[in-house]
Amino acid sequence: MNAAIETHELSKRYRRVSALTECTVTVPEGRVSALVGPNGAGKTTLLRLLAGLASPTGGTAYVLGGEPRQDPAFLAEIGFLAQEIPLYRRFTAEDHIRIGAHMNPRWDASLVRTRLAELRIPLDQRVGTLSGGQRAQVALALTLAKRPRVLLLDEPVAALDPLARRNFLATLTSGVADAAGGLTVVLSSHLVTDLERVCDHIVLLAASRVQLCGDIDTLLAEHKILVGPRKDTAPIERTHTVVQTVATARQSTLLVRLNGPVIDPAYQAEDVTLEELVLAYMGADEASAGKRLTTVGEAS
Amino acid sequence: MTWLIWRQYRASGAITAALLAAFAAAILADGFQIASHWHSILLACAGNSVCLQQEPSPVNGVVSDLPYLSLIVPVVLGILWGAPLVAHEFETRTTDFAWAQTVTRTRWLAVKVGWLLLAGAACGGVIGALTTWWSGPTNAQLASAFDPGQFDTQGIVPIGYAVFAMALGIAAGTLARRTLPAIAVALGGFIALRLVIADLLRPHYLAAVTTYYNVTGSFGPSGQAWVLSQGAVSRTGQVVPEGWGSLYAALPASCRQLLPSGPTAGKSASLSAVFSCMQAHGWRGFVTYQPASRYWPFQGIETGIYVLLAAALIAVTFVIVNRRDA
Repeated sequence: MNAAIETHELSKRYRRVSALTECTVTVPEGRVSALVGPNGAGKTTLLRLLAGLASPTGGTAYVLGGEPRQDPAFLAEIGFLAQEIPLYRRFTAEDHIRIGAHMNPRWDASLVRTRLAELRIPLDQRVGTLSGGQRAQVALALTLAKRPRVLLLDEPVAALDPLARRNFLATLTSGVADAAGGLTVVLSSHLVTDLERVCDHIVLLAASRVQLCGDIDTLLAEHKILVGPRKDTAPIERTHTVVQTVATARQSTLLVRLNGPVIDPAYQAEDVTLEELVLAYMGADEASAGKRLTTVGEAS
Repeated sequence: MTWLIWRQYRASGAITAALLAAFAAAILADGFQIASHWHSILLACAGNSVCLQQEPSPVNGVVSDLPYLSLIVPVVLGILWGAPLVAHEFETRTTDFAWAQTVTRTRWLAVKVGWLLLAGAACGGVIGALTTWWSGPTNAQLASAFDPGQFDTQGIVPIGYAVFAMALGIAAGTLARRTLPAIAVALGGFIALRLVIADLLRPHYLAAVTTYYNVTGSFGPSGQAWVLSQGAVSRTGQVVPEGWGSLYAALPASCRQLLPSGPTAGKSASLSAVFSCMQAHGWRGFVTYQPASRYWPFQGIETGIYVLLAAALIAVTFVIVNRRDA
């Protein structure tokens, strides 16, 4: 299967601040990928680099086989929806549909009209007067009407109430179904529960670096929670990677990435949920970041 | 793309067109009144040029400021329309919408900038043409179209000013990414540059002509020439500008004696004696000026300067829009 998105050590620095550091990810074609990470992890930067709205300071990015660039052939394939839901607030949805028709070679105006009619969102009202959820729906429908092959959505549901969020994700899911495997989506969010329903792939960023990247099912199968007596974890770490350790006085709980079967019978293996996995990797980064800070403090 | 420009600007365009129409109506009404007044003066003087020049101006005092309004209008429009062109899209983040469509930033900017500059040029052209027509009687009576202030409101230079003002607004807005600071910077920059070019550069577009004449006689360049300086010059090359104060101090002692304590209207006999004395000492009168025939070349040069500056600013805008992260 071809990769729709492939980055290699992609980096972006803004003056002295590093927004994205040596990010290497692959998203196969047709996947719906969850881009998760705490605020400031670099999710927006990665999406803007992929959309060609920013240029990298290091590394390479390939989207559908080419580098993001100012070229109609590239721009036609990309759908991008920024966090702020950028629309001309004084224009109506109908105005936007006409603008889209003038600015895109493939334009499915009936898709927007049908979807907005289903949601009972008026086409002739200024979008600035619509609710946040309705505005997000208008923006998503417009983005889908472009018939992109790669859809990049930056925290589009963050500001929405649960019902609007569910409607938004339903529109997205139907868009993916319509495209019949021809649409790759990267959807950033910090709400893991929402993503779990629609995504089959995950990219986890923390502190401007990639912590995890892969198919959700594969990753869930590779990781186990080991519950056992509190003892030295060195033997486990020889074969497996311990992501997170939580220890009480008598018992320790390890989240490990398996590299073969667990032989030690003292441990009981349990399946891991996506949320546990995400939190463990985010926590792991915080712990190592904390360690680094301590070292720096001691050195100075 | 063009439809987006039309949708974005149709409301403000309609308001602007209405204001322009009102301004044009005022100029037209006033201009016809001035013209009929001027025709009665022409009939009364029957071709006598001294009579024509001595008649009071046909321009009414209150509306004589109209040409200065025409100086401001294209500039204000240019800056108010130009500054938000890119800046407002950054402020409302609509660049994220526009730049995610199947249109390169270069094309997006080219269409926007193209239509707006065209509108600005048209606006400057209409106002310039109206003001030129309105100033016709004054130009005929006083031959002053080349003088600073008149030159700036007539002919084709208003087009150059309007196009430049809009380009400056666009470039400032693109750099600042904020509309209000861009308007302030563009307005300040425009006024400063206008003053520098009008006061320091314009007199030197072409080398000025200096005519020397007998101090006992007189000389005036013909037609609507632009007189830059005039006065007297001594045999040794000492230049004394027009005016008795400085001339008195520079005169040779023998000539100064001929002057009474101060020149008064009743002493014209002794004044001509002073001029004869000056001529005997080798003094000559001079006038430095730009001849009337250079009016249109100067209009062309000044318009060209502003259009070239506008082109440079637009080129910078394209570079910034293409290079900068959105």
